[in-house]
Amino acid sequence: MRFIHIADVHLGAQPDAGPLYSRQRPRELWETFEHVLHICEEEQTDLLLIAGDLFHRQPLVRELKEVDYLFSELTHTKVVLIAGNHDYISANSNYRTFQWSPNVFPLFGEKLQYADFPELRTAVYGMSYHSREIPRPLYDAVRPAGAEQYEILLAHGGDEKHIPFDRRRLEQSGFDYIALGHIHKPQIFRKDQIIYAGALEPVDKNDTGKHGYVKGGITEEGVRAQWVPCACREYIHFESAVGVEDTTGSVKKQIEKKINEYGNENIYKIVLVGKRNRDVLLDPERMKGEKNILEIIDRTSPAYDFERLYEENEDTILGRYIGRFRGCREGSVEYQALCEGVEALLGSRQ
Amino acid sequence: MVITELYIRNFGKLSERHFYLRDGVQVISGENEYGKTTLHAFIRAMLFGLERGRGRAAAKDDFSRYEPWDDPGSYAGVMRFTCGGRSFRLERNFARQTKQVSLVCEDDGEELSVEHGDLQMLLGGMTAELFDNTVSVGQLKAAPGQELSDALANYAANYYETGGGEYDLSKALKSLDEKKRAVRRELRDEEAAGETERKKLLQKSRYLEEDIRRLDAQYKEIEKTLRELPGPERTDVHGKNRFIIGGIAAICAGVLLLLWSLWSGHESGRGLSAVSVLTALVPVLAAVAGVFLLAAGYAGKFRSHRNRSEADEQRRWELERIRSELREKEIRRENIREQYEEAEKSDSQIRLEEQCRALELAVEELQKAAQVTAGSMERSMSRRASEIFSAITDGKYRSLETDRQRGITVWDGERKIPAGRLSRGTVEQIYFCIRMAAAEILTEEPLPLILDDVFAFYDDKRLESVLKWLSGQGKQVIIFTCHSREKELLRNM
Repeated sequence: MRFIHIADVHLGAQPDAGPLYSRQRPRELWETFEHVLHICEEEQTDLLLIAGDLFHRQPLVRELKEVDYLFSELTHTKVVLIAGNHDYISANSNYRTFQWSPNVFPLFGEKLQYADFPELRTAVYGMSYHSREIPRPLYDAVRPAGAEQYEILLAHGGDEKHIPFDRRRLEQSGFDYIALGHIHKPQIFRKDQIIYAGALEPVDKNDTGKHGYVKGGITEEGVRAQWVPCACREYIHFESAVGVEDTTGSVKKQIEKKINEYGNENIYKIVLVGKRNRDVLLDPERMKGEKNILEIIDRTSPAYDFERLYEENEDTILGRYIGRFRGCREGSVEYQALCEGVEALLGSRQ
Repeated sequence: MVITELYIRNFGKLSERHFYLRDGVQVISGENEYGKTTLHAFIRAMLFGLERGRGRAAAKDDFSRYEPWDDPGSYAGVMRFTCGGRSFRLERNFARQTKQVSLVCEDDGEELSVEHGDLQMLLGGMTAELFDNTVSVGQLKAAPGQELSDALANYAANYYETGGGEYDLSKALKSLDEKKRAVRRELRDEEAAGETERKKLLQKSRYLEEDIRRLDAQYKEIEKTLRELPGPERTDVHGKNRFIIGGIAAICAGVLLLLWSLWSGHESGRGLSAVSVLTALVPVLAAVAGVFLLAAGYAGKFRSHRNRSEADEQRRWELERIRSELREKEIRRENIREQYEEAEKSDSQIRLEEQCRALELAVEELQKAAQVTAGSMERSMSRRASEIFSAITDGKYRSLETDRQRGITVWDGERKIPAGRLSRGTVEQIYFCIRMAAAEILTEEPLPLILDDVFAFYDDKRLESVLKWLSGQGKQVIIFTCHSREKELLRNM
């Protein structure tokens, strides 16, 4: 039995993808989803497992029709899906009434249920969110019913407000494979057994790193699962080191070089760190240039040698001012205040 | 430290000039344009170097002001001085291309390194700024339109609060405040941008709500029609019913007539006559006509029934369509509401708020640091300044007090007199006393005092007291003046 496990597709989301790609980003979410369905068709995958949050919000009928059409095109693959906290089954959710194609098996119950595939000797278990938050650890007590030889759990959540669970309990639950959704970062909790596929495409500026899906199979010998990257873009955060010689122009060049290296298709957030020359005023806006940069944050501090300044000016206001910030952490508000104050004092020299 | 000789190769209007100095009080006098201020600047440049300003500031900095026009290469000089019982020779070249400095101990020929701070050590850690604010004294300057006594009060308060007047507290606070305002402005813009986004969502939601209301009204309308429906169709149905009733009546009449004719024929005992056949035919015809009528009636009824249910069907279908559209719109509205509620502060907003907090904290801490500095400075310096003031006024005033709010007051043993009521000369003297107290307290190594045209507003009596006091300090004092009375007074001393 071969399967593909995806999660958190978030169709309908409008992620901020930087000045160049934000417009087309909602479409790209659909395209990557379709790409996975193509793979299912091409490889005649047996099961497509969707571990929640297929939609970013309550799905509209036209969206469901669109998705179901794509599912119905699959000649071999059967689709099992649950609703997550984003597309939870609300009182008037379209999930409640929508008529799916015969190869689609939604597990939309509030309680654990399963879809049985005798021809695959597989049963897929799961339950869906009926509210935006579920703080109860529902998965801790979940056990397979022994309906088939191979048993899979589709689960969504894992943080405090969304069905928190105990990893060890899941490991011992008896499921052959647990397809997790909700956390956007792909993670393998236990090799070949408990895996967060991660969001199919990154949908938030903090979804850094690569994104994709899990491809696996179950045989008599056991489960084999492998994570496959497929997202068309990536959010990349990096720090750019600024030295006393740097100016806005030189930092801009440095950033451009790095982005060319990492790929212009990606979405960037850059933090400037280090010590800048006291007389240089960095302008992050001007550093963006034509690149797809969400944001440049200036966390540099002017290059002061506070220890020396303190020692040399112990009796003056400068020394006493520096003394008041003894032991504050670099990057904290206090440290910022220290820099601002020292800058103002030095600037006031007569 | 005592400066023994100054040799100027080329510096401003002075070139190839030697000045020989000695310990104690001495006067360098000359008319205006003689070059006193240049000489003063030369001493400062020799001790601390001449940094060239950058950009626009360079046009009017000291480097450009004193750079010789015709022979920039000779922009240089020598200073000889004694310090800690040893003699030194400090040589500097200020020129752009040949900038150079050397310091040699003349007793043993040891080469010292200015770059590594040897000169600074000899100066006891004195910086150019501290030099300007302690031992190098000019006239008290007031801003245009400012009372001299106010200028003095500000000066003194700042002097205490910053621990020597190297920094200008109010200027620093003002720059922090300006920066905070700029950050606030940026924050407001950022918030406004977020607000527009939210407004757009609200607008969308409002449109949807209108649609929902409209659809709802439509739905109710159709529902109502469906409920009251069969109004106009009923008359038609009556017509069809008449056919049916007529038909039934005709059949009944035909059957009755037939029965009657059969019965009467049987009764009379006559055989089937032409008459009896005729009488039997009439009821049969009537019955047949009745059957036709009945059939027509039912057919009509059936047809109208079918028409009605088709219209109903269409209405029901319409209702269903509106209902699903309504639901779709409601879901969309709900989704937008969710999005609206999720809208949170942007990262840059958070960062700007943080910067605002940092700037506020800086102001707070700067004020506290000023208080602490003033507290310890005032105790030591105020006492010393009072002593000097008392000495140079021959005991006329006992003490002076400085306060940010009340300004400077002097105590003559009976009353506190605000500085605003004192003469210009006396205000200048208070300033002088604060500078002298600072020079003593803030400098480790006793450095030469340089007094540049300080005594212009002093009367002879006060001047004599000041000179007498200066002579008793055991320091090298260099007085620049354009008058000759200092020299005379000293000669007579």
